[in-house]
Formats: sequence, C-alpha cells, structure tokens
Amino acid sequence: MKLKLSPPSIFAAILVAALLLIQNSPGQHSPRRIAVIAKRFQFEPAAITLKKGEPVVLVLTSVDVPHGIRFRELGVEGKVGKGGTTEIAITPDRTGTFVGHCSVFCGSGHGEMTLTLHVVE
Amino acid sequence: MLRTFYFIVGALLIAILLVGCKAAPPGKGETAVMSWAKHKVFVGNKAQKNPLKDDAAGVAGGKEAFTHYCVACHGLDGQNTGVPFADRMSPPVPSLAGKDIQSYTDGQLKWIIDYGIWPSGMPGSKKTLSDDEIWSIVLYLRHLPPAGSLGEPEMYTH
Repeated sequence: MKLKLSPPSIFAAILVAALLLIQNSPGQHSPRRIAVIAKRFQFEPAAITLKKGEPVVLVLTSVDVPHGIRFRELGVEGKVGKGGTTEIAITPDRTGTFVGHCSVFCGSGHGEMTLTLHVVE
Repeated sequence: MLRTFYFIVGALLIAILLVGCKAAPPGKGETAVMSWAKHKVFVGNKAQKNPLKDDAAGVAGGKEAFTHYCVACHGLDGQNTGVPFADRMSPPVPSLAGKDIQSYTDGQLKWIIDYGIWPSGMPGSKKTLSDDEIWSIVLYLRHLPPAGSLGEPEMYTH
C-alpha cells in the first residue's frame, strides 16, 4: 500500500502531534487537589502548607450547613451549600501565613471557624 | 416591733423589685448621662483603626456580614426599618446612622460589637463573628444607605 501525502492528511498528522505534545508537556500537570471538610465550627484540616506559585484546588465539602471560606488578603472566596462540594482554585503569589474565615454565617461558633494557609518558597 | 420592721423591709424589697422590672423609656437627662459615660468611660478601644480598606468591596462585605443577624434588631439599613419592637425596648434600638453612634471611633464600634452594651439589648458578638467580619460591619456602618431604601428584613415580612 502506497502512502499518499495529501494536504488534509498532513494537516491531520500535525494536529495529532500537537495534541500529543500538549498532553505530555511538563508544565501542564493538573493542579494538586486538597480535600477540606467544613463543619460547624471547624475546617479539617485546619491548616495547609502550599508553595508560592503552585496552583492548587481546594475541594471544599460541607457535611452539615452551608459554609464558605474567604482569604481576604489573597482575594479568594468560595461558598458551599448544605452537604455540597465546591472547588476553589488558589495560586498563592506571596509567602506568609493567611487565615481564612468561614464566610457564610453558620451559628454561634462561626467567628472562630478558620483555615490557615502557610505559603512557603 | 420586730414584726413591723420585717414588714417595712419586705414592702421596700417588693417596691424595689417592681420598680426594677419596669422598662420605662429613659428620660433626656438619663440618656445624656449614659451617652457621655459610654463615649468617654465605658466603651474602650478608642484608638484602634479599621485595618480594612474603605472601598466598595469592603462595604459590600460589611453589608453581607451585617445581614447575618444584626438585621433582626437594626434592620437592613441599620436604621430599624421594619423592626417591630425597636421603639418598645428600653432603651430603644438606636438608629446606627444617628450622631450618637456615628460619633464613636471605629475602634469603639468594634468594641461594642465585640462585647455588647450592658444593660441595653445589644449583645456581644466576639467569636460568633470573626474579627474580619466585625471590622467589615464597622465599614458598612460608616456607609449606611438612606433609611428605608433596602426594605424590611425578610423575617418580618411573612
């Protein structure tokens, strides 16, 4: 069988090669996913260590009432409904310790419901 | 003789209890004295500054935090709109847009929300609300909307 090099087949070959390259590119790893449980009146875990510039996704799950998380200094906020799950993308752009608070009023201990991010180099 | 003494003491105690239970609105003099005492003596934290930026996002955050439960007594606008018992408390629930409240410093407003004002009906909210939320509420108090512009709290409309 003789291979015929027509313009459409060349285009298709280039397209497949490009897609393979994109998939295997070292910079294209999907962000690390970190599961966080929200319940009255705490987050589990209560503290997480991240690397500066590393994209992560917080997978926030509520096991009781609606909750939320807000890191005011990082401009990050997300809310989760009763018994639901939401994903919050964070790429910290500076090092330090950042305390996030529950941003949906959930009862008498709401003010003490915090999640601490330690961002290191 | 002793019986008469006990009778008088008993009558006085009953009278004191009855007077103590009466929730009459405070007079002008009492209000003025208490207002002075609160501003100058009782309410602390006069010097602390609000760490939050005074911008539209900060005010919006404060408005949201205010609706957590402040609205039950202060209304959505902080001016008691739609609060059915605001005038019947002793002392009455003040308008947060009024001079008496607005003349507190930011730090004092934070202190009041933290610890409440005794013996008024204002409870302390420290630990129930985060510091961040309380400071954002202070921000909202400095930018209250016109009275009645936000309607009545949902809890009183059905």
